Amino acid sequence: MLRSKRSEYTTAAILMAPFVVIYGVLFVYPTVKMVQLSLTNAPLIGAGTWVGLDNYYRLASDRLFSVAVWNTVYFVILSVVPSTLVAMLVALGVNRLKGWTQSVVLAAFFLPYILPVSVVFRIWSWMFDKDFGIAQNAVQLFNNGQHLSIFRTIPLFMPAVAFVTVWWLLGFNVLLFIAGLRNISTEIYEAAGLDGASRWAQFTRITWPLVWPVTVLVFTINLILQLKIFDQVYLFANGGRVGATMVMVQYIYLAAFQVNKGGLAAAAAVVLFVLIVVLSVLQFQLLKARGAR
Amino acid sequence: MAAKNGEAAAPHVELRRVTKRYGPVTAISDLSLAVDKGSFTALLGPSGCGKSTLLRMIAGLEPITAGQCFIDNLDVTDVPPAQRRIAMVFQSYALYPHMTVRQNIAFSLSVAGQPRKVQNERAQEVARILQLEPYLDRRPAELSGGQRQRVAIGRALVRKPEVFLFDEPLSNLDAKLRVQMRLELAKLHADLGTTMIYVTHDQTEAMTLADKIVVLDKGVISQVGSPLELYNAPANKFVAAFIGSPSMNFFPVDIAAINGRTASVVLPGGRTVEIDIATGAGARSAELGVRPEHLTVVDPKDPAATFAGAVAIIEHLGNSTILYVETAVGQLIVEGEGDLDAKSGQTVGLRLNQSHARLFGATGATL
Amino acid sequence: MSASVERGADLTTPLASRRLARLRRFDLVGLAVTLITLAAAVLWAFPLYWGLVTTFKPEYEIVRPGVQLWPEHFTLENYLHVLLQTKIGLWYVNSLITSGAVTIIVVMMSAGAGYAISQLDFPGRRFFWWMILASFMVPVSALIVNHFILMSQFRLINTLAGVVGPQLVYGPVTVIIYKQFFDSVPKDFREAAVMDGSSELQLLFRIYLPMNWGVTTALAIITFIGAWNQFLWPFLAISSEDKMNITVGITQVHDAFGVSYGRDLAVAMLAAMPVAVIYLIFQRRVTQAIMLSAGIKG
Repeated sequence: MLRSKRSEYTTAAILMAPFVVIYGVLFVYPTVKMVQLSLTNAPLIGAGTWVGLDNYYRLASDRLFSVAVWNTVYFVILSVVPSTLVAMLVALGVNRLKGWTQSVVLAAFFLPYILPVSVVFRIWSWMFDKDFGIAQNAVQLFNNGQHLSIFRTIPLFMPAVAFVTVWWLLGFNVLLFIAGLRNISTEIYEAAGLDGASRWAQFTRITWPLVWPVTVLVFTINLILQLKIFDQVYLFANGGRVGATMVMVQYIYLAAFQVNKGGLAAAAAVVLFVLIVVLSVLQFQLLKARGAR
Repeated sequence: MAAKNGEAAAPHVELRRVTKRYGPVTAISDLSLAVDKGSFTALLGPSGCGKSTLLRMIAGLEPITAGQCFIDNLDVTDVPPAQRRIAMVFQSYALYPHMTVRQNIAFSLSVAGQPRKVQNERAQEVARILQLEPYLDRRPAELSGGQRQRVAIGRALVRKPEVFLFDEPLSNLDAKLRVQMRLELAKLHADLGTTMIYVTHDQTEAMTLADKIVVLDKGVISQVGSPLELYNAPANKFVAAFIGSPSMNFFPVDIAAINGRTASVVLPGGRTVEIDIATGAGARSAELGVRPEHLTVVDPKDPAATFAGAVAIIEHLGNSTILYVETAVGQLIVEGEGDLDAKSGQTVGLRLNQSHARLFGATGATL
Repeated sequence: MSASVERGADLTTPLASRRLARLRRFDLVGLAVTLITLAAAVLWAFPLYWGLVTTFKPEYEIVRPGVQLWPEHFTLENYLHVLLQTKIGLWYVNSLITSGAVTIIVVMMSAGAGYAISQLDFPGRRFFWWMILASFMVPVSALIVNHFILMSQFRLINTLAGVVGPQLVYGPVTVIIYKQFFDSVPKDFREAAVMDGSSELQLLFRIYLPMNWGVTTALAIITFIGAWNQFLWPFLAISSEDKMNITVGITQVHDAFGVSYGRDLAVAMLAAMPVAVIYLIFQRRVTQAIMLSAGIKG
């Protein structure tokens, strides 16, 4: 189409300017600075001197950092796997419902996702409250009739937080699974039914293979999301032995804002950064290779 | 419009030696085309022949790789579409779904900053011409196909263009509606007298609507002429085959002798007929083309019968009957009267009306 | 099989009765699945219900042993206390301002950039698109340290503007979504409008945006909810109670109440209410937005 090049460039400049400015200042620049900072021994605010890879060596030998990494991985496994599986089962169930029932049921599963983390925290610390929480009725059965402070019992901390996280975020995954299930045309099931396939056979030979790409998608999205966990771990651990249940972003927070070691925090951030980028790229390639959308 | 006293009227729209390349592919090469003022010119051809490309080059939606485009003797080759004083009706109509009919029609005025009052007046006027007044406040989704088409025309009309461009506007309509809209378009042209350039692959549309048809084949002009010229005097086999429904019959023949403007043609089966030709020096073999209506059904034993064969299929249209007859030269399509009595499997004789037959040479050009 | 012959035929043949039995079993499994799903939904909604119901109980009832699914004495005293004795009003306003600002800026910026990349041709177009896709894979929360440093350099720590800033880059997905939607507008519309004399900006505002209005609404809602729920950055950036957003506020000041379950939960419910209401009203749009942004992540 014939159009004046000059006016096109001008319009493009006007339309792109806000984006370029905002992303330049608030994304590109901090990223560059982060890498730079990680190579110095600066405090949070202020200058420091160049120390090369010193911070990274420190991280490698810092017990707390390895605890943070391990806890993060542990948490991810505890939350992502059940979350994906349960979401798929729920989606299979919800997909069979119709109309009004389906909307209400879907809302029941999805509403938690809309809530801010602090509200989720309040609800569940009340549910598990050591003295008066309703969940203690069940805890008593397993604990010789005694109440237990779930979030102060170190071995139970991560599983409990993972459990809460699954409750919180399931709706998102359910939605994705439903979208995936809806993409399977009902005609395929009808044809299979006419061919005499049993319910189970239909599931294993039709549903499962066709929903596999969505399963991979949900799994990897959650994986990458949960590596960045901070909010609920911080909130539930507050007042307890924070060191034992630390996660990576928490470590960054601690290093920067409590110990005032900006350089070290930046190094930890870079490690997390690289880890997630690598996984994201892998995810992208994995999904592309499978020919998913 | 007719030229005055032998002085040739300057063409209204002219493409001079235009070439269109898409990367390594050349779609159109060195093509020249002239459209007269006030005429209804059809660009006709099968898919991929370049007709839409030509239209879009005239519109300014496609850049011209080489060559020039003139509108009213002004070089508009580098002029943006909005300034060419033309308007286009798209195949899909491209009606803005979120605007009412009124807003769709008045869009160009609104873009130009015309006051609301002017916009409404002009939209009203156009709606009246196209009988769209009751629909002015509806959205395109609420309209029927024919109504949408009229809105698309209205949107073009409101700009008071010098040239109307139509890109296969009737192809999205059902058969009956197509006939109706054809009449409306013909009436529109008669009323407005504006130059119209119309792209289509449907030869019936071209034949019924156009004063002049430009037949295109793979980016090259096959022939330019009035409908009857193209029908009765096709310049080559492509035009002869494309125009006319049911289409012309073709079969190979040998040329026994050429005497001036007559060729003695040997038909398969041995008979010799005399066919008028224009040129033909040195041709030994050719293809003979004859239209279905120029074959008459006769008794197979009639000595005047040129061919004989069994009727494979009969189509009764009421006002005519189409027969598909398997003969020694292949399947021949024959068009006869509506009350023609024939049965499938019956052997019939066909008499060739040789004054209407044509010879086509090896390259396809008419001899 | 000779299924069509037997359809509607005599129901006493062995084949037909086997089929009937299978049908009955069929329904049983289906019914069981449905019931399980419904039960799961009830269980899932229970914690919310339980939290909500607790807020309407007086404190002595809350700490009583035993499970009371409905308040014996329905009371609003928890809410009244919270509304009158805390800065919740201020927090609401702060949340409204920051979430609103983030939403408006992000939507405008994304629509503009998305349109430019989709429809215009300019030097660096491919580069910017690649950068957006790349930034999508990058965890923005790893940047908190440098965001803090940057905001303090601009002296925006402990201000609402400072809270808004870094949040603007939390969602490059909006640009991607806009670009994809603009790409999908058929070329015909553009050509028709250009022939009518429209400029690029007119095209954006009068054709492309209005034709994709649903996307804008969906993205706005989801951006708003996301901004409202932000914890980490507002937590870091704000230190004075007056400027907190509500998500942070409710966790920071509960000590002032002592241990009062009813009030803690009441303030949480109040924090959740706006986004819950938005969701319930705009359920379809939220769902659509989620699916869009996940579709991109693939």
